[in-house]
Amino acid sequence: MAVSREFFECQVLDLLGCLHGVARRLTCHDADAEDLVAETVERAWRARDTLHSEEAFRSWIFRILNNTFISERRRQAARPQTASLDCEEEDDEDGFSIFEQLHQPFLLWFSTPEQAFVDGLLRADLERALARLPEAHRVIVVLSDLEELSYAEIAEMLGIPIGTVRSRLARARGKLQKILWQQARAYGLKAAQPGGDAGEHAQRPGALQARPNDHGEGS
Amino acid sequence: MTRPTLDCEQVIAQIFDYLDHELDAERVDAIEHHLHQCKSCFSRKEFEQRMLAKVGELRQEAVPDALNERIRGLLKRY
Repeated sequence: MAVSREFFECQVLDLLGCLHGVARRLTCHDADAEDLVAETVERAWRARDTLHSEEAFRSWIFRILNNTFISERRRQAARPQTASLDCEEEDDEDGFSIFEQLHQPFLLWFSTPEQAFVDGLLRADLERALARLPEAHRVIVVLSDLEELSYAEIAEMLGIPIGTVRSRLARARGKLQKILWQQARAYGLKAAQPGGDAGEHAQRPGALQARPNDHGEGS
Repeated sequence: MTRPTLDCEQVIAQIFDYLDHELDAERVDAIEHHLHQCKSCFSRKEFEQRMLAKVGELRQEAVPDALNERIRGLLKRY
């Protein structure tokens, strides 16, 4: 379809924050992220005739962003390509949940240990954990949980079946929770024990915050 | 229409589909019926929902001025 310059400009400016957010998570580098967004906009304009409908603009331009990122990575010969977004890793994180580590069914307080755990997470905790995810998992969490794309939009963008989006996202979320859990364990949080030991640790305000470098950061 | 009965395992297996609004109305109804009856699954749902909201707080901040200007400059050329 023919895309007017006005429509294209309006859409790009509306989505600029999302495009930059995803680009930052993909590249893990501010300047590279800005280059990626700029290159994406240029490619999108050149390929505007491939847009099938105005409603599809978001997934269409995110797909261009993704493809641009992948081709840029492939051009960087010095960099290994083992972290392709197309890869489907086999791992044992499927189904890991902090809930299962902390939940105590007989606690009836207004704040449960697992809820207190989440509430105690700092932005820095989450940023660190997200950055540690493999690229294929990080991007799907960003697209779903930060940018709120539907499974169908993510499938379109990544060029994978919806079933793969569903399973990869579940694995990615499990892995993210496992990393957060490991970080918390490293700072002394204990798993649920009969008698409520973990409850005391998890419900203590700042269970994850009591460390020197995080003073002054908001959650 | 008879509401399908789900056990805990089936509900937990679909909890992300439910939270992501990726299920049809019939399936949502069956899951919510179970959640009203099962404290454990309800607690799990509450936890996962809270965790997703927390991750969502990482959503991108403002666009850097330099990028904004760069993109606006590009668009003016088209």
